[in-house]
Order: sequence, then structure tokens, then C-alpha cells
Amino acid sequence: MTSESSEGKKVTLKSCDDVEFKVEIPVASRSILLKNMIEDVGETDQSIPLPNVNEKVLKKVLEWCQHHVNDPQPTNDDDDSRRRNTEIDDWDQRFLNVEQDMLFEIILAANYLDIKPLLDIGCKTVANMIKGKSPEEIRNTFNIVNDFTPEEEEQIRKENEWAEDR
Amino acid sequence: MESNPPLPAPNDLAATWAFLENGIDQIMNRLEEGLSYKRYMDLYTGIYNYCTSSRMNPGFASEPLAGPGSNLNNNRGANLMGSDLYQNLQRYLERHLFTIRENSTQYMDENLLRYYTRHWEKYTTASSYVHHVFRYLNRHWVKREIDEGRKTVYDVYTLTLVSWREHMFKHVERHVMTAVLKLIERQRNGETVETGLVKSVVESFVALGLDDADSSKSTLDVYKDHFERPFVEASEVYYKKESEKFVSENSVTDYMKKAETRLSEEENRVKMYLHTSTNKPLITTCEAVLVKNHTDIMWDEFQNLLNMDKLDDLHRMYSLLSRIPEGLDPLRTRFEEHVRKAGLSAIEKIADQGGETMEPKTYVDALLEVHRKYNDMVTTAFRGEAGFVASLDKACREFVNRNNVCKSSTSKSPELLARFCDSLLRKSAKNPEEGDLEDVLNNIMTVFKYVEDKDVFQKFYSKMLAKRLVNGTSASEDAESSMISKLKEACGFEYTSKLQRMFTDMGLSKDLNDQFKDRFSTDAGDQQVDFSVLVLGTASWPLQPSTTNFIIPEEVEKTFHKFKMFYQNKHSGRKLNWLFHLSKGELKTNYLKASKTTYTFQVSTYQMGILLQYNKDTTYTFEELSQSTDLNAEVLSGQLGILVKAKVLLLSNGAVGEPGSRYDLHMDFKSKKVRIQLNVPVKSEQKVEVEETHKTVEEDRKLLMQAAIVRIMKTRKTMKHVALVNEVISQLSNRFKPKIPDIKKCIDVLLEKEYLERVEGQKDMFSYVA
Repeated sequence: MTSESSEGKKVTLKSCDDVEFKVEIPVASRSILLKNMIEDVGETDQSIPLPNVNEKVLKKVLEWCQHHVNDPQPTNDDDDSRRRNTEIDDWDQRFLNVEQDMLFEIILAANYLDIKPLLDIGCKTVANMIKGKSPEEIRNTFNIVNDFTPEEEEQIRKENEWAEDR
Repeated sequence: MESNPPLPAPNDLAATWAFLENGIDQIMNRLEEGLSYKRYMDLYTGIYNYCTSSRMNPGFASEPLAGPGSNLNNNRGANLMGSDLYQNLQRYLERHLFTIRENSTQYMDENLLRYYTRHWEKYTTASSYVHHVFRYLNRHWVKREIDEGRKTVYDVYTLTLVSWREHMFKHVERHVMTAVLKLIERQRNGETVETGLVKSVVESFVALGLDDADSSKSTLDVYKDHFERPFVEASEVYYKKESEKFVSENSVTDYMKKAETRLSEEENRVKMYLHTSTNKPLITTCEAVLVKNHTDIMWDEFQNLLNMDKLDDLHRMYSLLSRIPEGLDPLRTRFEEHVRKAGLSAIEKIADQGGETMEPKTYVDALLEVHRKYNDMVTTAFRGEAGFVASLDKACREFVNRNNVCKSSTSKSPELLARFCDSLLRKSAKNPEEGDLEDVLNNIMTVFKYVEDKDVFQKFYSKMLAKRLVNGTSASEDAESSMISKLKEACGFEYTSKLQRMFTDMGLSKDLNDQFKDRFSTDAGDQQVDFSVLVLGTASWPLQPSTTNFIIPEEVEKTFHKFKMFYQNKHSGRKLNWLFHLSKGELKTNYLKASKTTYTFQVSTYQMGILLQYNKDTTYTFEELSQSTDLNAEVLSGQLGILVKAKVLLLSNGAVGEPGSRYDLHMDFKSKKVRIQLNVPVKSEQKVEVEETHKTVEEDRKLLMQAAIVRIMKTRKTMKHVALVNEVISQLSNRFKPKIPDIKKCIDVLLEKEYLERVEGQKDMFSYVA
């Protein structure tokens, strides 16, 4: 951490619990937020505080950024095609094979930091968890208490009849 | 130094906006003081926190992903926060711009431009920061609004531009443009001005062109309406005034220089600091004012420039007038007329000098000189423009075929051209070097291209080629074949096929002679005469049969018969016609007792026939010679005339050719030369030949026209008279220009011969009879 590495310039990211991470700019730039800011403000020695991400999550997110450092930047055009398929590559699947809490934290961090591909695979993972399950099973999976009255439930079912498998 | 207030509570709008406004204000007004990562992150996080505040309750994982049940009827799904921030930002921008606008009123002209562009640059730079800081809002709330078709919501950067347009641009645009136009006018007047200011204004106006239907796209509407239109109008006024004044005070050539400079200045202006799309409207307007409004005086000046060969000015006029539609048309017409006159007067000049006999070289050189001069003019001054090339061609065709020398008929030009070719290709001390010859031949082809009666050229050319080949006077085989391939290229294979066939015959004859010699060289004892023969196909060679009988002298008779036998053995069924009038021989003198030298006479076969009689006796009367040679009186007297003139024979009684005249062998013949050329053409023969050639051309044309008519009718089956005539003219145009009455005559002949018939009931309609 102390010796300045020769390979590429680095920035220091600071988690909300005050842990610093030195990362190469291309890795940090997977986050559009950080990319824009570094470009706007310019490179300085200041550390970048991330008030909404803790050490555990930031470490995880940076691991993903490091692995995907050479991916092409997503463009608006491939938005739909990427969203339409639910496939997640092997590395990402293993990467997201974490506690449910952690998974949600990663999704939130990806949203905050503006890392679209990570946000997408996070959401896909959740979607895959829901797929094929009954409402009761979903409630169990996500630890949700059923707060609908039976009347409300009936109404919802009616409204969403069109989406039922027949 | 910037202050670092703590982040506000996520759900407190007032506190959040106060926090943000402080930061935005810093970015908008004091960006040069810098912005720390922390401040940047805080602003972003403040927005993020506010936008997510509705579900940022503790224990996220235990909360349902969707909102509480009461939200279910809202088909927007998750409730997105952000409109308050957006509206606050919008109001902030309005206030901010109001201040900028108010301060602008104290400025005018250049200072106003400086003020406007400085603030524009500062504002847009800051706006792109703000846009990034508000990215979370852009990604979620704004995106949702736009997706749902809200036209008045834009991403933050676009919002800043829209705000500038509403609260700044609309109020100051007129003053800014007044200043811009003044600045440009000063530059046009020759002052040095700060063009960077205009460039920035242009960039600003272009950036403000937002497509109302889709804010992610841009249009040039703002620039076009508020910049380009007034600018182009001002340009028009300026140049109208300037050009009218200039024209009234200066010459046309000076005006053209001025207009040229102005046009290139305006083209540069667009490149330097305007939007490229302005090029077309600006230049079109300038062309109208600077060129179109003054075409009359330029057209009038054109003839003067031509008369004085002012290439630079001609080129300038060409480039100016080529800019406007139909600007060049009058020039082309005048140019054509001018070239035609130049050609005619050049020919008139040499016609006066040359008198009756026109030297072919003088004539062709005169044609070429005119063509070269104006061809150069077309390539340099008119940049080889197709219209001028066509005018040049038209003018050249006119004066090549119809001028003072060929008053009588268009076939004079091709005849002279062919004679010139002959003089170049015949052995002569005056001939140019091989390299130069090629150039001269190319020049001939230049003239040839314009010749209408190409068939006449072909006739004369083949006649003279035949003569060169028969007499062995062709200078170079390479040059001959080079010329033929040029003709072939210009007129096609058929045009030169006979010419080529003639060369083939020459080659075959050489082989034949070798074989004949081989075959009889072993025949010892026979008195051998050195003998060679050319066997030439009648169809390809334009050679006339002899007009007289001739008895072959006994000295050569044996060889003559031997060859006849030899040839008939080789090719039975072929008929040999002997063209003695084209043959020649050599005789050696053994009778001159007083002289030590033996002379060699180069003679025609007829002269040989006459002279060999003197081996038996030394004096003969005209009648005796007529009997022994069987030559008719005309030919005999012609030949005798030459021999008498050369003093080989002495006339001892009467005049040459008269009955009873007597011819003695001159026993004391003396000459400085050892070889004496007696085989010279008889004058009267030449003229007859030219006339005959022209006559055969007429005959051939009839056949060509008939063939063309049959060819056309065979493919078309039925055809109207007019269409048929036109088709014939076009098919034969690369040979000659058929006259319509001649075509009609040919049609009549074909009707008579029943190749064609009239279609009943239809006027002027013919059909082909198979």
C-alpha cells in the first residue's frame, strides 16, 4: 500500500468506515461516477470518500472491477440485448454466490457508483432466484411477511391474470 | 477554500437543496478555485441520498422490494424522487442567467461579444460538471420522465442549454448578431479583427440547436435562423454595393480579379470561423451578386480577351462564370466562332501564297497550328472543360473541311492530308527523325479526326501506299505500321484491312522470289536475267490495269515464261495480270565506244522495250517502234519524250510522237552520273489519277450507302424514311457525310432491285424483302 507502484496511476478510495483502497484508475473507472469525477476534477492525491459503501462491500466491488477492467464500456445500444438474456458468465456467478445481504449490498453499491454491468448481473441473480417460485416460496426465500388481506390478494391475482402461465 | 458542510438528512428537501445550491454556485461561479473529490462526492451523494430516501429505511434486506401495498395502484412501480431537485435546479439556472443577462446590457459591439463568449464558455464548462454531479438524477428520475414522453424534461446538460436559450440567448441574440456583423464588415474592409469571437458565437448558436422532438439530437435551426440568415443577407447587401461601385470605376479584368479574391475570401471565412453548412448559402449568394449580376459585361469582354490571347484573364473569367448556371454558354458559342474564323483566316493566308498547287505540309501545318493554339487555350484557360472541348472540335471540323483551299469540295482536305502522309513515309532526305516522325503522325491523326470524308483519305492513302511499296520507296516499315495502327484505332479494323493486306502481299512476294531463285539457280546454260516480281491481290491493291498492249522484249521473255510456269504450278487457277506500266528495270550501256564508263539506265519496262530494240539497229521510226513494242501512240510518245530529253535517243526527224519522226541511238552519250534515272512519271498521268481517285470515291460511296441501308433494314424489317436516312448518316459518319439526295437515290435503286418495298397504305414506310 505504501510503495507507489509503477504500473499506471492510482487513486485512493475511502470506504464509509474509513478504510483506504489504492486502485488503478482504469479499475476505478468502471464506475462511471468515479470516471466522470476524475476526468472533471483531474487527478489529485486526495482520497475519494465513498460515504455510502463500507469496506466489505467496496472490497467485493473492486474485485469485480479488477476482473472486468478490460471489458468494453457499455453503450446505450446494447442495453436491451444485455437485459433480455438472463445468462451470467461463470466467474460472475461464482462472484455473486454470496449471502443474500451481501448480494443486496453489492446491488446498491453498483447503483450508487454507477457500474451498470454489475448492477445488471446483480438484478439478474435476484430475478433467477424468483423465477419459477410460488408467492409463498418467494416470501420464504426473501423473508417477506405477507401483509396483504385475502381480498387484496384476490384483486392482485385478477389484475395480473394475463401474466399467468397457462 | 471551499467549505465542507456535513451531508444533509436524506429526506429533508430544504436542507438538501441548500446544500446542493451552495455546491452548484461554487461550480457555476468559482470553478477556477477548484473542486475537491470530497465536495464532488458529497454533492453526488446528497442527490443520491435524496432520490433514494423513500426506501432508504433501515434494514433494507428485510423490507419488501416493492413499496408498501398502498403504492400498488401506481403503475409506475417504484416511486422515484427527483422532481423537486430538478425544478429547484431549473429555477436556480434562471436566476443565474438573469444576472449574467443584466450585466450584459452595459456592453456593446466587441465588448459584448467578449462578454457573451466568455460567459458562454464558463457556463457550458460548469454545466458539464453539474450534469455529471446530477448523474443519479439523470439516470433515474429524468430517464423515467423522458421514457414516459414528458417533453419538457431534459437531462441536466440539455436543461442548462435550454435555460441559456430561454433566459440568455433570446434576450441578447439581436445585439450579439449586430456586433458580429459589424465585426465581419470591418474585416471585409481590411481591418484585422478578433475572429475567435465570431467562432465562439457560432459554436454557441450551433450548440443551442436542440431538437424539440428529441433532446438527444441537435439541429442547426438556431444557427440557421439567427446567425446564417442575417449574415448571408448582410453579405449580399455589402457585395452588391461594393461590386457595383467597383465595376463603374474599374476595367472588367480588374473587376474579375476583385471578384475572384472576394469569393476565395468568403470560402476561407467559412473554413476559419463559421459552420461548414454556411458555405453553400453564402457562396451561392456571393456568386449571384458578384458574378451573375455582372455576366453581361464579362460576356462582352470575352471577345477582347480572345483577340489578345489573355490566358490568365480568360481563365479567371471561365472560373467565375463556371460558378453560375448557364454562365459559360455564350462563351462557348463565341469561342467556337472565334476558332473557326482563326482557322479560316490561317488557311486563307496560305491559300493566297500557295496559288494553285498547295504544298500538303504547309496546309496541314496551318491547320495544326490553329488547333494547337486553341487546344492549349482549352486545357489551360478552360481547364479542359467538356463544353469547350466540344466547341473546339466543332470549330475545327468546320474549318478543316470547309475553307478557302477546299472551296470546291470537302475531299480536298483528306487528299492533302494523305499526300502529307506520303511525303513523310516516303524515302527522302527531308524526313524527320524517327522520334519526331511519331509526333508528326500523331498530329496528322489530330487533323484526321476532324476530316469528314475519311473514305477519300483512305483512297488516296492506299494509292500512295501501293506506290511506295511497289516502287520500294517506303522509308520505314515501323513508321508505316505505326500509322496504320493509328488509323485502325480511329476507324476500326475494316478501314485498314486492305492496307494491312498489302503488307502481307509484300511479304509473300519476297518468299516467292526466293523460292523461284532457288528453283532455277541450278539451271546452268540459260541466260539469266536478274528478276524479281510482286504478286499483289487485285482486291486489296488500288492498281489500274495498263491502258496499252506491250510486247515483252525477247531478252526477258524466257524468264517471264519460266516464272509464269512456276507460279501456275504452285497455284493453279490463279490468273496473273502483268502490270508493266508499274514495272521497271535496269539496262547497262555497252555501245558507247568513246566512253570508258558503262552507264546504268534505270528505266520503266516500256522504256526497256524501246531501248532493247536498239540492240539490233541504231535508228527507228515512230511507226517501227510502235510495231515492235505494240505500245499505243500516247504511251510510246510519252516514253520517247523522256528518252529524247535525256539525250539517250536523238530525234532526227519531226517532233516527238509525230508520224514519221525518227529516233537514233546517241552513240556519244555522256553524263556526270553513272546511274541515270529515266523512270520518271509523265506529267499528264498524275492529274488523270487524282481525278480518277475522286471518281472511284463517288462509286464506293454509293455502294457503302446501299450496304448500310440493307444492313439497317435487315435488322429493323420496317422503317420510316426519315428514320432510315438518319440511321444511314449516323452509321457512315465515321467515313463520310452522306448527302440526303444521294441516300434517296440509293433507296430508289434498292427498291428497283427489290431489296426493299414500300409498305402499302403507310406513307414513307419501307420494309425489307428477304
